[in-house]
Amino acid sequence: MELSSAIAESFRLLFSFDAQLWTIIGVSLKVSLAALLFATPFAVALGFFLATVPFRGRRACVIVLQSFLSFPTVVVGLVLYVLLARSGPFGAWELLYTQEAMIIGQAIIAFPVLAAFTLTAVQGADRIVRETALSLGATKLRAALTTLFEVRFAVMAGLFNGFGRVISEVGCAMMVGGNIAGLTRSIPTAISLETAKGEFAQGIALGMVLIVLALGINAALNYFQGEGGMK
Amino acid sequence: MSALLHIRSLRKSFGERRLLDIADLNLDAGRIYALTGDNGSGKSTLLRIIAGLEPADELNMRFDALTLNGAAYPDALRRDIIYVHQHPYLFHSGIAANIEYGLKLRGVDKAARDAITAEAIDWAGLSSVMSVQPKRLSGGERQQVALARAKVLNPRLLLVDEPTANLDRAAREQIVALLRQTASDNNCVVVACHDREIIDLPGVHKLHLEEGRVTGG
Amino acid sequence: MTTSLNARFFSVALRLATLGMLAGVQANAVELRLATTTSTEASGLLGAILPRFEKTTGIKVRVISVGTGQALKLGERGDVDVVMVHSRPDEDKFMAQGYGSVRRDVMYNDFIIVGPASDAADIKGLNDVSTALQRIARKQTRFVSRGDDSGTHKKELALWRAAGIAPKGNWYVQAGQGMGEVLAMAGNMRAYTLSDRGTFLAYRGRVGLEVIVSQVPGLFNPYGIMPVNPAKHPHVRHDAALKFTDWIVSPAGQNAIRSLKVDGQSLFTPGVPPTD
Repeated sequence: MELSSAIAESFRLLFSFDAQLWTIIGVSLKVSLAALLFATPFAVALGFFLATVPFRGRRACVIVLQSFLSFPTVVVGLVLYVLLARSGPFGAWELLYTQEAMIIGQAIIAFPVLAAFTLTAVQGADRIVRETALSLGATKLRAALTTLFEVRFAVMAGLFNGFGRVISEVGCAMMVGGNIAGLTRSIPTAISLETAKGEFAQGIALGMVLIVLALGINAALNYFQGEGGMK
Repeated sequence: MSALLHIRSLRKSFGERRLLDIADLNLDAGRIYALTGDNGSGKSTLLRIIAGLEPADELNMRFDALTLNGAAYPDALRRDIIYVHQHPYLFHSGIAANIEYGLKLRGVDKAARDAITAEAIDWAGLSSVMSVQPKRLSGGERQQVALARAKVLNPRLLLVDEPTANLDRAAREQIVALLRQTASDNNCVVVACHDREIIDLPGVHKLHLEEGRVTGG
Repeated sequence: MTTSLNARFFSVALRLATLGMLAGVQANAVELRLATTTSTEASGLLGAILPRFEKTTGIKVRVISVGTGQALKLGERGDVDVVMVHSRPDEDKFMAQGYGSVRRDVMYNDFIIVGPASDAADIKGLNDVSTALQRIARKQTRFVSRGDDSGTHKKELALWRAAGIAPKGNWYVQAGQGMGEVLAMAGNMRAYTLSDRGTFLAYRGRVGLEVIVSQVPGLFNPYGIMPVNPAKHPHVRHDAALKFTDWIVSPAGQNAIRSLKVDGQSLFTPGVPPTD
């Protein structure tokens, strides 16, 4: 295909501030960030809990959590769809085909990523981090927070990873958002649509926006890690 | 004078192997103890149990006015007993932040914290490395920070695990000097080590751990 | 409906993989590559008639089912040998630009306006599409548009134009998805939409919508077939494409089309629609 002309066209679209294109970018960012905001506290708490509190069945929980990492987003979308559809148990809430539905779906998708990264980060932290805090007089809660703070860059890597997963996922966003122009059309659902239409230039422009976002995020992560010092 | 710490019984086994079986051990305030014993004899485990970082199978002890007999280790006791790891962990946030970590937990206000921290930096000889990130410090410097971090809290009982292992001579001498200055009338220091320089210091009381029992004192 | 939604996303991936494979296909490959709209495959038409053609001629047909726009693009680029779509103006343009060697009328089906039984816009049984659309717009009853440049979408836009309305506002939902998904959306939103009859019959039981306006002028939907012009793309299998074209308009092909029925109704009618 005429890749070079499509790329040229994509630059034109981006820098002519094509209103439709920027609306799509805005929807994507808003939904993904809201989903992360929503999921992070719970996911980090769960990851930390699994890493630090021994109980029967913890191993099974960890295995379940890790297998959720490769759960197809479209299945999340499907389950959520069935729940939110008019005939479903939460149909009366009329959430289907709204940004809220997309946020819920993406929060569910991001959750295992965030929790698993936190789990690994906290497990990877030396036992002596917690012991040092305890011995210097920290309560157990405070020692937990100190440990979490010490591995914050690894936890943040999970955050960025989760962001990468939700900003680029199409299956769930398409099903529960509906790809409605100006409302629930995100970058990946728009790419899917443009491809179906044969509008490859617009699709590639959107793809490039995704790449630029990914670059920006990874650059930011590296910058922060450089500041704070990776282990 | 009654002992600061009196252990009536302390037992710890790993599987079939009985590591510690102590029937009577007294540690007095105002003293430095050198705890010797072969590798694997249980020195670290003993110190960690006393510091409440590891559970014992049986622990009956009195610290000052507080008696512990089978109950969970109280957080309050950790305020008086501090354990320093052989390879201390330093928080990423900088040397000063490490030293004032415990002070913050105890609600010391900022002005007082700054003053105490500055004094401790001087005391431990850390002024020249203040701009270095904790992870880039040498083994001796890390040990200095860890001792300063513990000393500012005036612990009644300071338990230090092999502080001079793997250090060169100059660093060892510095650590030994700091340890001597840490002991006072009011507190007690226990140093687990093989280091003759510590064991043979004048006034150091010798404890020896062998087959789960402590002799000397 | 849910399974087919799922299948759609899977099929997008498959399609991309297929496109990649096609790039490597040699000119002397034994298969005929047909680009067509999702409606012909989803309705089961191709599954019903292609085996008959393959049996008669020994030519195997590979189907790439995409939107009208993409199907035509694949033809323009010579990625396929023959194109079967349903958007007459686009087909005429394709021919005028020399991408097709010949165009033949194949069959037609009809579009229907579907909606909830409550019929909030009160348009049931109208025999004029423009009046129906004007009422929907006036009452701002929700209407879900395909919004994906598909043949159905283009048809819908043409109907709005003919009714003198530029649809805009919260009530006009531009979905950007396939027919099945849009029917599901309309069902959930209690909205109207324009559908081809075949897809609606396949989804009817699950979406809670019914036929509101049908069998009136303006709603017929003719399909045309065009072999890709070998003068533009010498590597295409023009002989096989012509054979397929000739077969599908022959009595054998036309009978095969008529024989596909759902609930006793033919999904597609061979030939050209009654003038509308």
